[in-house]
Amino acid sequence: MAFLKNRPAQNASRSQPESSSKRWLREHKEVASSSWHRLWQTPLANLLTWLTLAIALALPAALLLLLSQAQHLGQQVNQSSHISIFLAPYVNQEQGQLITNQLASRPDIAQATYISAKQALINFKASSGLEDILASLTDNPLPATILIEPANTSLGPEAIAILAQQLRQQDQIDQVLVDMAWLDRLQALLATSERFTYSLALLLALGVLLVVGNTVRLQIENRKQEILVIKLVGGTDAYLRRPFLYAGFWAGLFAAIIAWVILQLGVTYLHPPLLSLAQSYQSDWQLEGLSWFGSFILVIASCGLSVLGASLTVGRQLRLIEPK
Amino acid sequence: MIRFEQVSKKYHDKHALVRTNFHLQRGDMAFLTGHSGAGKSTLLKLIMLMERPTSGKVIVDRQDLSQLNRAQVPAHRRKIGLVFQDHQLLLDYSVFDNVALPLKISGYNERDSGRRVRAALDKVGLLDKEKLSPQVLSSGEQQRIGIARAIVNKPKLILADEPTGNLDPALSAEIMRLFQQFNQVGVSVLIASHDLELIQRLPHPVIQLNQGRISGPPSLMRQ
Repeated sequence: MAFLKNRPAQNASRSQPESSSKRWLREHKEVASSSWHRLWQTPLANLLTWLTLAIALALPAALLLLLSQAQHLGQQVNQSSHISIFLAPYVNQEQGQLITNQLASRPDIAQATYISAKQALINFKASSGLEDILASLTDNPLPATILIEPANTSLGPEAIAILAQQLRQQDQIDQVLVDMAWLDRLQALLATSERFTYSLALLLALGVLLVVGNTVRLQIENRKQEILVIKLVGGTDAYLRRPFLYAGFWAGLFAAIIAWVILQLGVTYLHPPLLSLAQSYQSDWQLEGLSWFGSFILVIASCGLSVLGASLTVGRQLRLIEPK
Repeated sequence: MIRFEQVSKKYHDKHALVRTNFHLQRGDMAFLTGHSGAGKSTLLKLIMLMERPTSGKVIVDRQDLSQLNRAQVPAHRRKIGLVFQDHQLLLDYSVFDNVALPLKISGYNERDSGRRVRAALDKVGLLDKEKLSPQVLSSGEQQRIGIARAIVNKPKLILADEPTGNLDPALSAEIMRLFQQFNQVGVSVLIASHDLELIQRLPHPVIQLNQGRISGPPSLMRQ
């Protein structure tokens, strides 16, 4: 049976083109390889194109990277938000200690630290350097304070606001301070940066499309004679389009690789000063380079945009070249 | 093989072809002549679908060309072997790759394509030049490469536009002998040429074009 099956196939391959899927695969392999070899015929011109594309990619990618890590940091800041409670002046140290213990036993509070009015004054003297002025005061102007750390570190700003509201209702408590405004400002700043980054990414993606489109247009112009002859001997549009789409793909791949290197260099360069900045805030935050997933997205976006740019141009340009 | 029915072609105000009728039978060979501007190129362009007629019908291999849309043009052109006066070879391709181009487009694999290319080069007597660039060949050799490219796909019809235009008489006669050989194995051949001296020595009917109007022997003119 195998013998019988083999013979017609052999005959077919001798006289006719092979099966369509096999042919499709082989043709794509051929075009991928021939367009790859063509790249190295004009390496400098290609390198310049790749660099242009890489910069257009690296810029939004760097901003997105910083943004995602800043958002991460923002969440950390949220989690470590303290609540300061100022006790009423008539509450003495004993009562203050009692309130602190009561608060500490609440399930939604992890830690409550009592700072007496006297201790607060000592702290303030040490940190402000206003000892002389403070010494001239007859009364201690500072109230006793309880510092509270909420229990659930994943508690959002709303939950903290509710906790603060509950605390305010207690008689002996004069004032409850949560630095919500600062957190709100940080959130707004991050949201603004996010939109800015997305707009910039959109514009630069458009830039990538235009650069690739223009490069392909020039390549088509350079190969006009070849395209004319191929059209005359019956080359289809798909056949003519293919090498230019592959050229776009290679450009996208090399641009992604260069953009990746630019990003890693940038991260390495920025890392030391950012690290000391983070350490000054007692944060263990570190600027990280692109993850595997991020690198994958960069390559996909770059190749996708380049092939799209090439295909948008190539159809229109090929129609302009007709044998006369 | 080729049939023109009342075909006219007008460029702006100029009539390139006026109500042209002729019929080239399957397996026939004929010449198309007339001085430059008489409409020879227009007629060939209509057959290749490089142009569309203003009116009338062009039928090639039983296919009414007006029925073919833009996407079907490449398949139509692959059925025809085309030879140009200026050979239209790609100078950055080797001789082999030039001849292999129609096969590559048709999706032949390397092995089958190599066999056919070498057979075609053998027919035009240039088998030993396959690795060279067309640039280093003489104009007669270049024209033969062009012919090898036209026949490599085994077309049923060969069209040639002034194939001997740039060649001396001896080379021209040699090229014509090649076309006759293809015709003897059943290929229909239509050659546009103004080399009357050469044409008259050959036993093939001649279609004459004069200011877009056609005349010729009754065998070609009847419908």
